[in-house]
Amino acid sequence: MKKLVLGGNDAVAYAVKQSRVDVVSAYPITPQTSIIEKVASFIAKGEINTKFIRVESEHSAMAAAMGASASGSRVFTATSSQGLLLMHEVLHWAAGAGLPIVMANANRAVAPPWSIWAEQTDSLSQRDTGWIQLYASNSQEVYDLVFIAFRLAEASLTPVMICMDGFLLTHTKEPVEVFDNEIDEFISYKPERDILDVDKPKAFGALAFPKDYMPIRIKQHEKMLGSIDKFKTIADEFSLISKRSYGPIYQYGNENAKLAIVVSGSISETAHLSVDALNDEGIPSKLVKITMFRPFPKEALKKSLDGVDKIVVFDRNISMGKGGIFKDEIVGSLGLGNVVGVVCGLGGYDVNDMDIKETAKSVFEGKIKQDTILWGEK
Amino acid sequence: MIIPTQEIMQPNHLACPGCGAALAMRYALKALGRKTIIVIPACCWTVINGPWGKNYAGVPVFHTAFETTAAVAAGIRTSLEAQGKNDITVMGWAGDGGTFDIGLQALSGAAERNDDIIYVCYDNEAYMNTGIQRSSATPVGAETTTTPAPLLKDRPKKDLMEIVAAHSVPYIASATIAYPTDFIKKFEKAKSKRGFKLIHIFSPCPPGHKFAENKTIDVSKLAVETGIFPLYEIEDGVYKINKKPKFRPIEEYLSLQGRFKNIPKEQMRAIEEAIQMKWQRLQAKAEYLK
Ligand SMILES: Cc1ncc(C[n+]2csc(CCOP(=O)(O)OP(=O)(O)O)c2C)c(N)n1
Ligand code: SF4
Repeated sequence: MKKLVLGGNDAVAYAVKQSRVDVVSAYPITPQTSIIEKVASFIAKGEINTKFIRVESEHSAMAAAMGASASGSRVFTATSSQGLLLMHEVLHWAAGAGLPIVMANANRAVAPPWSIWAEQTDSLSQRDTGWIQLYASNSQEVYDLVFIAFRLAEASLTPVMICMDGFLLTHTKEPVEVFDNEIDEFISYKPERDILDVDKPKAFGALAFPKDYMPIRIKQHEKMLGSIDKFKTIADEFSLISKRSYGPIYQYGNENAKLAIVVSGSISETAHLSVDALNDEGIPSKLVKITMFRPFPKEALKKSLDGVDKIVVFDRNISMGKGGIFKDEIVGSLGLGNVVGVVCGLGGYDVNDMDIKETAKSVFEGKIKQDTILWGEK
Repeated sequence: MIIPTQEIMQPNHLACPGCGAALAMRYALKALGRKTIIVIPACCWTVINGPWGKNYAGVPVFHTAFETTAAVAAGIRTSLEAQGKNDITVMGWAGDGGTFDIGLQALSGAAERNDDIIYVCYDNEAYMNTGIQRSSATPVGAETTTTPAPLLKDRPKKDLMEIVAAHSVPYIASATIAYPTDFIKKFEKAKSKRGFKLIHIFSPCPPGHKFAENKTIDVSKLAVETGIFPLYEIEDGVYKINKKPKFRPIEEYLSLQGRFKNIPKEQMRAIEEAIQMKWQRLQAKAEYLK
């Protein structure tokens, strides 16, 4: 293992290189583009044996990824924002077909107005496509999650999307511990699966009448739920090699916290500082970061948020006419009454540690009782 | 030439009686053999191939989204190459809607990359699966559920072969089931060539075109004999006409089909003129681009 200074995009490309990916199919979009450029350069230099399909759109990127995966290859793609939205129909298709495709998504706001900066509304609006979603909070996580994602996708026959905030994660360079060949055995494991095979001429995805369709969908749902445990097992196996551990959620701070700050993505890094400051001020606080979203880590969150007086969820995303999406999911899933949602950081708007601290403190002290918006004019 | 006796496609499939598209697949597979993987988008063939658990094609089939045929086929081809499986034919099999309209972008992408696939459009000149709506392959004068009389289709059919030819691909051919040896030869040729191949099949549809189900071959044949659907190939840019039309009166073709029952006289003449124009251009290309 060695330390390199990498941005999130470099980290993804590096991990893809080490993951023995057979086929990459992708289309450029800011701020994802440098991932596929880097992969292309690895191929050009003969450093990897990967085939690259230079498609004419994201829609075809996912369609080609699907064909490649259905015929037995390990497949990767990457996109962002409008590109992810263009894939929408095919995302459902890939998940329904049970194809273990791994995709990196650079979280970027959606137009109009045009914006190339961070926001999670793009990936969260793909919430119901049947993809496992993993949200990274730094480049190390991005790198590690690529390996875990391939194993998880192949073990649960469900595609996995790794989400990372545009620019904040994709382009900010930081030290990342990368493997030499310690990861080879972990990543070379591939379970058998049903593929297009001329010796077993089956049809995939044929028309299903209601009596067939419903059980197939329920099975898919159960498979998805089961991937929480698979994630834990695979992450444990990974931690033996990397000495870094992952779970559906991540916690930091006071174990007996009375105040919990819940986030997902790069705000987690900033919120560490806010939690430290709150604890210093005598408000027992903790940070809860949601890594796995779909399947929803209900049990882990329940355990973590039980007994906490006030919960503040910072959402860098918005469901128009409703509010922050993570907040809504937590309240809906756990049936809690002590949660305040804070929509913040849309389109890359800066979110700093002081603002997070002050807002959370105001909620704790009962000064903010309703869902709110955190931004500069405050 | 001898037509292969082996039957890969299975009986009991779900096509309407007299369906040209079912017969076309049967012949195509005779030519291509069992080492073939097919991609089928939303179209009549989604139904023809049978419901969940069935596969009447007899070779592996991947059912896919309406507009993705060429891209999925490209993905399969690349995947097979990555695994060193180089003796399998990958065929996209789509209707005219999935080809001329919604799937054109993916088709153009795959053609431009020269992906090593056979793309087949079985052209029944309308969206039949959703109940006979007009597509950009519907000919002038045809009645569909979205062009009910007197609002008949009034724009000419898109020229798919020429669109794909503009991508400089190795092989493009038109075919129809009334000429089985010509049809099979073209599939064999497509199989033997590397790169992107397009086969445009004229595929009569009894309920859609409104003719009796025992007239499929007659309609196919008349399409060629009247000059409405010329049989030709473009091989590495070289045009070859496979059958000189007899230019039989257009009425013979139109009157067989209920979809043209309301066609006005002047539109009929316009079709005749279009046939002549297309023929002259084709002939000139065949002369010039040899
Ligand atoms: C994105 C999308 N839009 C619309 C449809 C509905 N649809 C299914 S099949 C079809 C028509 C297919 O027509 P064509 O490709 O000509 O094949 P045919 O049914 O005539 O065999 C349509 C419009 C769909 N499945 N997907
Ligand atoms: S509607 Fe036409 S194309 Fe479709 S199955 Fe019936 S005959 Fe064939």
